[in-house]
Amino acid sequence: MKLKHITFAVFGALAAAGVHAQDAFPSRGVTMIVPFPPGGVADTTGRPTAAIMEKYLKQTVTITNRPGAGGAVGNAAVANAKPDGYTMLMGLSSVSVIPEADKLFNRKPAYTLEQLDPIALISADPMILVVHPSLPVKTVKEVIALAKKNDGELSFSSSGVYGALHMPMEMFMHAAKIKLRHVPTTGGGPAITQLLGGHVTMTAGGPAAISPHVKAGKLRTIVSWGDDRHPNYPDVPTFKESGYDITYYIWAGLFVPHGTPESVTKVLRDAVRKGVADPEFKSQMTKINSPIKYMDAPDFQKYWDADAKRLAAVVKIVGKVGK
Amino acid sequence: MTAPAEQQPSPVASTGIKSDLVSGLVLVALAGYILWLNQKFPVGSLADPGPGYVPMLLAIGLGLVGLLVAVMGGRSRPLAAIRWPEGTRAVIILVACTAAGLALEYIGYRLTIFAFLVFFIGVIERKPPLPVVLVSGGFSLGSYYIIGDVLHVPLPVGPWGF
Amino acid sequence: MVETFNDLMLGFSVAFQPQILMYAFGGCIIGTLVGMMPGLGPLAGISLLLPATFGLNPIVAIVLLAGVYYGAMYGGSTTSILMRIPGEAASVMTCVDGYAMTQNGRAGPALAIAAIGSFFAGTVGVIGLMLLAPTLATFALRFGPPEYTALLLMGLFVLAYMSGGSMLKTLAMAIFGLLLGMIGIDIMSGYTRFSFGIVELGDGVGIVSVAVGLFGISEILLTAGNQDTPQVQKPTLRELIPSKEEFRLSAGPIMRGSLLGFMIGIIPGSAHIISSFVSYGIERRMSKHPERFGNGAIEGVAGPESANNAAATGAFVPMLALGIPTSPVTAVMIAAIMIHGISPGPMLIQEQPELFWGFVASMYVGNLVLLILNLPMVGLFVNLLRIPYAYMYPCILAFCILGVYSVSNSIIDVWIMLVMGGVGYVLRKFHYDLAPVALGLVLGPMLELSLRQSLALSGGEYGIFLERPIAMTMFGLGGLLLLLALKPLIFKSKDWRSKVGLEDEAD
Repeated sequence: MKLKHITFAVFGALAAAGVHAQDAFPSRGVTMIVPFPPGGVADTTGRPTAAIMEKYLKQTVTITNRPGAGGAVGNAAVANAKPDGYTMLMGLSSVSVIPEADKLFNRKPAYTLEQLDPIALISADPMILVVHPSLPVKTVKEVIALAKKNDGELSFSSSGVYGALHMPMEMFMHAAKIKLRHVPTTGGGPAITQLLGGHVTMTAGGPAAISPHVKAGKLRTIVSWGDDRHPNYPDVPTFKESGYDITYYIWAGLFVPHGTPESVTKVLRDAVRKGVADPEFKSQMTKINSPIKYMDAPDFQKYWDADAKRLAAVVKIVGKVGK
Repeated sequence: MTAPAEQQPSPVASTGIKSDLVSGLVLVALAGYILWLNQKFPVGSLADPGPGYVPMLLAIGLGLVGLLVAVMGGRSRPLAAIRWPEGTRAVIILVACTAAGLALEYIGYRLTIFAFLVFFIGVIERKPPLPVVLVSGGFSLGSYYIIGDVLHVPLPVGPWGF
Repeated sequence: MVETFNDLMLGFSVAFQPQILMYAFGGCIIGTLVGMMPGLGPLAGISLLLPATFGLNPIVAIVLLAGVYYGAMYGGSTTSILMRIPGEAASVMTCVDGYAMTQNGRAGPALAIAAIGSFFAGTVGVIGLMLLAPTLATFALRFGPPEYTALLLMGLFVLAYMSGGSMLKTLAMAIFGLLLGMIGIDIMSGYTRFSFGIVELGDGVGIVSVAVGLFGISEILLTAGNQDTPQVQKPTLRELIPSKEEFRLSAGPIMRGSLLGFMIGIIPGSAHIISSFVSYGIERRMSKHPERFGNGAIEGVAGPESANNAAATGAFVPMLALGIPTSPVTAVMIAAIMIHGISPGPMLIQEQPELFWGFVASMYVGNLVLLILNLPMVGLFVNLLRIPYAYMYPCILAFCILGVYSVSNSIIDVWIMLVMGGVGYVLRKFHYDLAPVALGLVLGPMLELSLRQSLALSGGEYGIFLERPIAMTMFGLGGLLLLLALKPLIFKSKDWRSKVGLEDEAD
């Protein structure tokens, strides 16, 4: 019994000490939540970003991986965090798809887009359509012709329904009016493995992920979802060039919970702006094969809105799978 | 399929409700509950199984096996023969762990684990105060140092900074 | 052959650089410590260490991570044997007979055999990797969804040999495990199943939190409140060393486990987890005294431990030969190399001979380091049993909470562990075996996914399973195994299982 009293007394004293004066932001370490496991795109982009922000914020920036449910767990954690700027999110384009999918399935949404405020876009990379080299096709036209000839028997692998590899393929199928069999897998790596083994006909792949296999001749590039040709793949045409108005980028951007004071977001935005211009950051990003595409909050907001709208439309087209 | 192990005559005199009857029926109930939950998901067809297909098959399987366990369990031990001498302690442990889980993200890792260990070693096991404080303090601080500081796992920190 | 030898020499010249040797050593130690934490396994270990490798050169980074990976694989068996807490999914089977051996006062031999088996398996794995990587990798790629389905179904048949209790109850528990595996987002359709609105359950219930709960927590619940708490053990030196008989019994399981583990390990995906279950099933089936299994049979430690370590090495085959991340662990390893601007791909061995051969050579070194490190440590670990239980179990509980929480910084995992602890406690009271739950949970999501992927590929035609030679062969083999398992039931002959059942009921 005595022990309990002591514990309470100690707690009380600590509680009193806990109320401290508000200092200029940031007065302590900042947490960056990465909603994917270590080693993924969000993680490899997040780490150099955190390192460079540390330099300009003059406070530690700790990465916390909160993987789960295709990013929903980490995204929701930030959306519902205290809007004080000490919790940030390194989100991928999937940030906008998850609430849409929740709507589709009548689920209680894990979070809404309104709960997040953008800070800056860090990187963006278009997807590239790759096929197995045994397939006698070299251009989009030939792929479409082959798909139409083998009515609905060609297949593609993806990283999961509504995932980053599924959405662009749905755009393609819708634009080209073709039907392909969809084989979802558990991630980007397994999706490429299925294609390398020749079990499926094609997949959409990130430029960095497919690069060694393309070089070794194990995969053949067909077309990219970019606005322009990708600097590392100058010979690969875009869908736009081929007459299909579809684009798809996997991007990574920084978010804070909605309602974070402007004085705080300004500090964070400044830190990112200085950071992305830093040669140290540039060389890190080149190493991981990830192109920097920086946009400050207002531009990023516009970019994000447009992207979210486009993706929402695709989710609606796809509808519920297996209904 | 038969269950060879259950055919053996039990050494215990068999009176009262059998344990396997109870556990088998619980499994049947669980299967029913899963089937009920599973209604929300499209079952699809054999050629194109939907999200509800495999769970449905499994739940039916569980129900059948549960039923067989219940029916064939005639020679199992009576329910009353299962003793629960450690039951109270088991409940205390589960409740204390739950409390620790709840406290973890509010008052921080070190304080929670310290209180948790003091409760078990000091209050439940009635060990002398000195070892209690040494083990509890040493464990909570030491494990935080290794996992939190050296391995950089972001363990919860309380509002007082530790 | 000469070429391989020269390459290997190049590798050793890399691996024996003092700096690299130091990191290999450090990695093994850190890995062993991390692996000993309940809940923290190889994946968590290398994920935690990944950021620390960014400042190192790629060879050092991958050597360090491989050391951590190995160490964690080994460390997981230590807590399984001493405390019945699986450090990772692959140690679940070790819990059964390893802990039974501890209760019989044979913790030392169990740990020693686990170390020796792991060393042997690791070495077999590295030799396989070195000589056959490109060939095997091409073969491994032929494992598409239909082949995977066949493989996993064969894994399910192992159930028949896995448990000594009632066949019906084993089946019930396996189905329960398979159903647990249905929780979470359905990858094929996007539906979230049985998650009760909890976002964190979207990825399903983790095998680690379930295994720690079912085995570790339930054990504490059963023992902590007993009047006669476990006696403090004071092992003598002689009891630490396996007897001649124990060595003789372990030789076969270690060799079979190593080969089997390596073969399953090279297959892309997470199927390598089942290697320890399959090995256990095989050893039990082959044993002349299957009734010893579950009560401290050393074969039940030797086989699965060797299998899971060989599988761990096998998993590097597709990663190094093809540059594809086929499992979460290899995905992290690939990230560790990519961060340095090397994109691993089919050309990795040619383009980065120093990396590949240095890695291979450092695996030899790492295995040796682990053996040297762990054999003397057996004495130290066994002395942990001297700690009075009143101090021991609260600390184990705290470790479980800490470990399970740290895996993905999620309190939900702690709840899963506690619920499973309570469920496991009650189930054991009712004489249900728990290992089939773990096997079911591991197999469930993979089996469902690969089955439905196959059907998506074929447009709903079941013929796809018959058209593919590898799948066909495995189905044939699986059918044969199933018939063998059913034979005693059909012919009503006195099955060994009933003998086991007798003992089980009499306790």
